[in-house]
Amino acid sequence: MRVETVATTEGPVLTAEGPATRRRPRGSFGGTRLVSIVAVVLLFLFIFGPLLWLLVWAFVGVWHYPALLPQKWSLSWWRQVFNYPSLARSVELSFLFAPTVTALSAVICLPAAYAFARFRIPGRRALMIILFSVNAFPKIGLYITIATLFYALNLMGTFLGVVLIQLLGTIVFMTWIPTAAFAAVPRSLEEAARDVGASRLRTFFTVTLPLAAPGIFVAMVLAFLASLDEAQGTFLVGIPNYVTMPVQMYSLVSDYPPEAAAVFAVLLSVPSVVLMLLVRKHVMGGSLARGFQV
Amino acid sequence: MRFLRRLGQLLMVAPPILVIGVFVGFPIAISAIYTLGHLGGPNSAVSAIGLHQVSTKGLFTLKVYKDVFAERNFQASLVASVWVTVVSVAVVLVLSWAIALYAWRTRSRLGRALTALAVVPMFIPVVIASYSILQFFSYGGFVKTVASALGMPHFPTLGYSLQLVVIAEIWVSVPFGVLMISSGLGGIPPSAFEAARDVGASVVRATWKILVPMNLLPTVIVTCFTGISVLGSFTVPYLVGPTTPTLLGPEATETFQSFAEPQQAEVMAVALFGLSIIVAVPYIWATYRANRTSRAQAL
Repeated sequence: MRVETVATTEGPVLTAEGPATRRRPRGSFGGTRLVSIVAVVLLFLFIFGPLLWLLVWAFVGVWHYPALLPQKWSLSWWRQVFNYPSLARSVELSFLFAPTVTALSAVICLPAAYAFARFRIPGRRALMIILFSVNAFPKIGLYITIATLFYALNLMGTFLGVVLIQLLGTIVFMTWIPTAAFAAVPRSLEEAARDVGASRLRTFFTVTLPLAAPGIFVAMVLAFLASLDEAQGTFLVGIPNYVTMPVQMYSLVSDYPPEAAAVFAVLLSVPSVVLMLLVRKHVMGGSLARGFQV
Repeated sequence: MRFLRRLGQLLMVAPPILVIGVFVGFPIAISAIYTLGHLGGPNSAVSAIGLHQVSTKGLFTLKVYKDVFAERNFQASLVASVWVTVVSVAVVLVLSWAIALYAWRTRSRLGRALTALAVVPMFIPVVIASYSILQFFSYGGFVKTVASALGMPHFPTLGYSLQLVVIAEIWVSVPFGVLMISSGLGGIPPSAFEAARDVGASVVRATWKILVPMNLLPTVIVTCFTGISVLGSFTVPYLVGPTTPTLLGPEATETFQSFAEPQQAEVMAVALFGLSIIVAVPYIWATYRANRTSRAQAL
């Protein structure tokens, strides 16, 4: 480790970057270049390997172990999956539930997030931890009793029932992340707007909301994905009227060969990947991380 | 007027608390009563379909707990849940720190690419992640195929094993770890670390002695949240793991759906909840401590 450090100190001193007092350039991490390249390759393989492997399976005609590549390529499974009777319906349902759940979650949680960030709410921290801690109760334990409650309220097998069950998984981050986003808006900016005569409402919509928007956006995308992803509760409450994509995926995995499941998995990943590209910048920028430290 | 404003502020906070209270808090309370032997009232619908139930005329009975904890299957799943969680959390911590630290230290394009790469799983539905990981590591999968091409036809396959559950849990949890740790590191001036290195501390020592204490809260958050999510996970162990022993999530689901024993399933849920609360203790301690120091700094 030290060898490389010594070696680099003898290199040309980077004067453009500042005073020449820095003895180790930023680039040296104490490991060799080879080690980092191997690490990158392994990480790439670990993260993308399974996904790429599944992508290949979606175009397989014939593939017998231990051939490295399929013996025959084919698109026939795509036809099969598109002709699968309830597929279109499940895609449609998923994209009906996800926006509904996201919007409802935003209406319920965003005012609370603003209040948590700006007002002195008694027991604020305790309330926020309670919001989370109850979510640590295992889903199945919860669903058994929720089912009882839903039977009593006639919510089993209804649209509203599925919306409610999917909503539960979104409350925590729809409150936490926007709270951090609102709290990060400097009060001085709001006060400046108020000083030049802007009303409270106008200040909120022209100063506070635009600055908090990235965090809110990240929370909404996460809620959308959570709804799109939710299978266990939707299965329990929605069956047989509301079979969404992930619920469908469970039955496909057990009833169909890997080719069909692979095609369906690729289809199911498309919306997630598109959303990822949309919010990538904000997620990496720390909007999500801040949400867990309010 | 002031009173009205306070009331308005509390009303803004109320909706999410109410939703969680009615649809999570209330059911948890009902379940707890049910596991203690009270089958009537709100539990009468569940108890009508349940087998092997225990009821009490007294205040409460712990018989269901005793029965469930004496079961071999449950014990094995409990042990499996704990070790899968411990290993997954440990690997996620090391991996997240390594990636975040590399990106923070080098500020290179490679570092940023690594971070971006590690965040990808966050956007892949867990059902698909589990299924593709299963295909990748099981018989006829990538690992086995490459091993056999390299002349190792007897290379072990991991399909439906607890090891594969660990691998999949790591895959699913790494994005959160990397995001939290790198966000925390972003707020630390490089000079703190450079100074330690200048007086001769190794990278590992400088990290352990300087960076970890300065970045403690995000580290604790990653530990606790990953721990809780692995403990209570269902999809990953259900799709890639063995039937027995499995994690307590699928075990409780199986107990309810296949054996029609809701009371026993609820006992398992309560046990898992207890474990989760233990895991959450460091988080509550760390946020309390962080709040106290920031308040002290403000004074």
